[in-house]
Order: sequence, then C-alpha cells, then structure tokens
Amino acid sequence: MKAVFGLAAAVTLTFLVLPVLAIFLQVSPATLLHELGDPVARDALVVSVRTTLIAQALIVVFGTPTAYLLATRRFRGRNVVLTFVELPLVLPPAVAGIGLLAAFGRMGLLPAGVAFTQTAVVLAVTFVAAPFYVRTAIASFEGVDPQLVAAARTLGAGPWRVFGRVALPLAAGGLGAGLALSFARGLGEFGATIMFAGSLQRVTETLPLAIYAEFARSFDVALAIGALLVAFSFILLLVVKWLRFGWTSPFRFVPSTSA
Amino acid sequence: MKFLAIFAAASLTGVFPQIDHAPRYQFAGSDQLAFQITQGAPADVFAAASPKYPEQLYAQRLCSKPAVFATNTVVLIVPRANPAGIRSVYDLRRSGIKLVIGAKGVPIGDYTRKLLANLGLSDVLQNVVSEEDDVKLVVAKVAYGEADAGFVYRTDVKPVGAKVFRIGVPAAGQPTVQYEMCIPTTAKHPALAAAFMREVLSKRGRTTLRDAGFGLP
Repeated sequence: MKAVFGLAAAVTLTFLVLPVLAIFLQVSPATLLHELGDPVARDALVVSVRTTLIAQALIVVFGTPTAYLLATRRFRGRNVVLTFVELPLVLPPAVAGIGLLAAFGRMGLLPAGVAFTQTAVVLAVTFVAAPFYVRTAIASFEGVDPQLVAAARTLGAGPWRVFGRVALPLAAGGLGAGLALSFARGLGEFGATIMFAGSLQRVTETLPLAIYAEFARSFDVALAIGALLVAFSFILLLVVKWLRFGWTSPFRFVPSTSA
Repeated sequence: MKFLAIFAAASLTGVFPQIDHAPRYQFAGSDQLAFQITQGAPADVFAAASPKYPEQLYAQRLCSKPAVFATNTVVLIVPRANPAGIRSVYDLRRSGIKLVIGAKGVPIGDYTRKLLANLGLSDVLQNVVSEEDDVKLVVAKVAYGEADAGFVYRTDVKPVGAKVFRIGVPAAGQPTVQYEMCIPTTAKHPALAAAFMREVLSKRGRTTLRDAGFGLP
C-alpha cells in the first residue's frame, strides 16, 4: 500500500509542480529579471498593485463588519445570504465580467459609466476577491469563544469595545489569512477585468492581462510576469499558513485547510 | 472521420463556415493563431487577415507559399444610440471619446494605426480606452454600447447591423487589407487542406466572400 500511495503522491506533486517550475526553467533568471524591466511589465505591475491595494482596502472596510454581523447573528435566510457571499468563489470569471457589465455598464442597471477605467478594474477585483476575505473572516469570528465575549459584556464593556478589544484581536490571525488569500486572488484576476475594464497599457492592463497580451508577441516578457506572480502567490500562501497556525497551532504540522 | 482544423482570422467567423461547414474552426487574432502554429499546433489551414504572419511562417519554412484570397476595408462603427454624436472620423479628435481599437500586432490594430497615420489623425490614439485581442472583441464593445466608437472591418458590420451604425473612412486613408492563407507544415491532412483552399478560391467560394462584403483579389 505504501508504494502505491507513494507513487500516486509522486505523480500528483510532479504534475502540480512541473508547470510552475517550467516557467523558471524556460529562460535564465537573468533574462527573467531583464524582461521584468520591459515597459509593458512595469506598467502592468503598477496598475496591478494600485488596483489590488484599493480593492483590498474596500474589502477590509466593508467586509469586516459584514463578516462580524454574519458570524454573530442568527436569522432566517442566513444560509442564503452566506451562499450569495460565496457565489463569486465558484462563478466563472466570464460570468462575473458579463454580470458587472449588466450591472454597471452603460446599458446596465446602475449605469456608472466606469467601463475602461481603473475603477472598473477595482470593481472586478473586489467582486472576485472579497468572498475569500469575508468567508475566512466569518469563520474566524465564529471561532471566538462566546464565553469571552459574554465575560467582557458582564464586566461592562460596550459592543464597540467588545468588538475592538476582544473579537478583533482573537480573530486577527484568521483575518490576516483571509486578506492574504483575497489579495492573491485579486492579483490574479483576469476574466472579469478583460470583459469589464478592457485592456490598455498603464490604465487597465494588469499583470495577468499583460501575460495574455504578450504571449503571442514576446513570450519571454509573458514568462517573466508569470514568474513574478508565481513567486508572489507562493509567498502569500506561506504567509497564510503562518498567520493561521504559526503561533497558535496545537499541531506539529500545518493542517491543510488554507482555502 | 477526418476533421480539418482551420485556424482563421476572427473576421472570417461568419463567412468560412458558409463556404464549408465541415471543418473544425478556430477563430482568433491572426497573431495568436500564428503563435500557436509556431508552437506546433496542428493546423491544416492558416487564414490570416494580413500577409504579415503567413509570410513570416513561410519564411521560417513553417507553411506553404501563401495565397491571397480576399481583401477588406476598415470602417468606423458607433453604437446605434451614438452617445458621443460621432459623424466622421474627424470627430474622434474630440477629447473624452471612448475609442476601442485592436492591439498592436493584431491585424485590425495595425491597420487602424496605419489608417489614422494616413489621415494625419494619430493623436486620436489618445482617446483609446481599450486595445482588444481580435476584431470581434472591438465589435462587441461597441455593439454593447460600452465604447463610443471602434475601428473594424466592413464585413463585421452586417452581423451586428441592428446595434451599430457604420461610418465610412476617406478612401485616401484606407490601408491595403489583404487576407492570405497557407498550409502549415504541422498540417495532419495536407491534401484535404489543399482542397479546402481550392474551395475558398473557387467561383462559389468567391461569391460567398463577395456576398459577405469582402473584396476579391
């Protein structure tokens, strides 16, 4: 049995690692670094970092209270609400794109006229990335021992204080992990962006869009951007594991519940 | 059952299946298709919206000698509602207009830049809000009303005729738009591919192309 399982594990790991490794092996590290200096790559990096940071700020400011409410209240239809929150996780990005157009496009329900602007990129990134944060945040708030909250209340702390001094610090690890996950997802956003925001260098062309635009034109630039995203995502996922289990884990190894 | 794999420019989406509905088609930007062929994609015929990529593949001995089979012209389209009130290409100079064009390297993108340069309108590029990867994406953004205007081929207008208006472009600005096709060396059915090319060049093929609005060489 050991041999069979070992073989299956070897096949699985090879299959998952090979395409990622291939990006780095196709051209030399020097070439990768050099190609990252390409104006297309540099501009895309700026657009990506800017839009993702704004999206993350929106997600935290609006998502944290939402998650706290959903975690601490029980009401009819809660499951339906939770399902709506989770829906973007499984929706194909193309559906998100067409939905954003139908909602905020010129012919949409709320014609905001934001298509082709960085605002459109931020909206697309927020839509697909927010559930990663909110869902993790709900779980983290639910994990806060209700007895601690009750004790704080009986000792005279108001709801703001309970939230700020008890719930928030206790959930902080999980919130950080959720934030890192949603950051990683937001940085990789492609389908909704290209449909809703279009693609223009320095304005709406994010790193994943630049890979798509460059792969037929300059494969090396596309590879370099790919390598950058791989490295960044790898670091973010490691951060998630540390935040979640780094200093509180009762386990000797990290349980794999990172998504 | 043998299926031909035809890699064709996005602007041929409507007309090629009318000439022969049997093959399996992949319609996309000619540059992307050419890239796939250099990567070994088993295309039996490569039909591009410009001579550039077939000639490049031919020079690299990756396909047979290309043949011209159609021509086209570039036009400007606006949504039916025409929110920006555009009447001619010269209106595109006004600031704040949302213009969508093809990306550089995509045939329609290169033709558009050439046309604007011919008319001394290159500063219009400042109004570009998105660069798309094939011509059908430009059509979609205008037809859906998201963009104020877009440059596409004459032949792209008919399928979305209910949603857009076509605005002609001064003949002096028109670039030469030629479609070329060839048989890649990766072709699995070269004999059938040659038969397909003969079909496109046949009287019936030419009539179908002309009815769709293409010019003939």
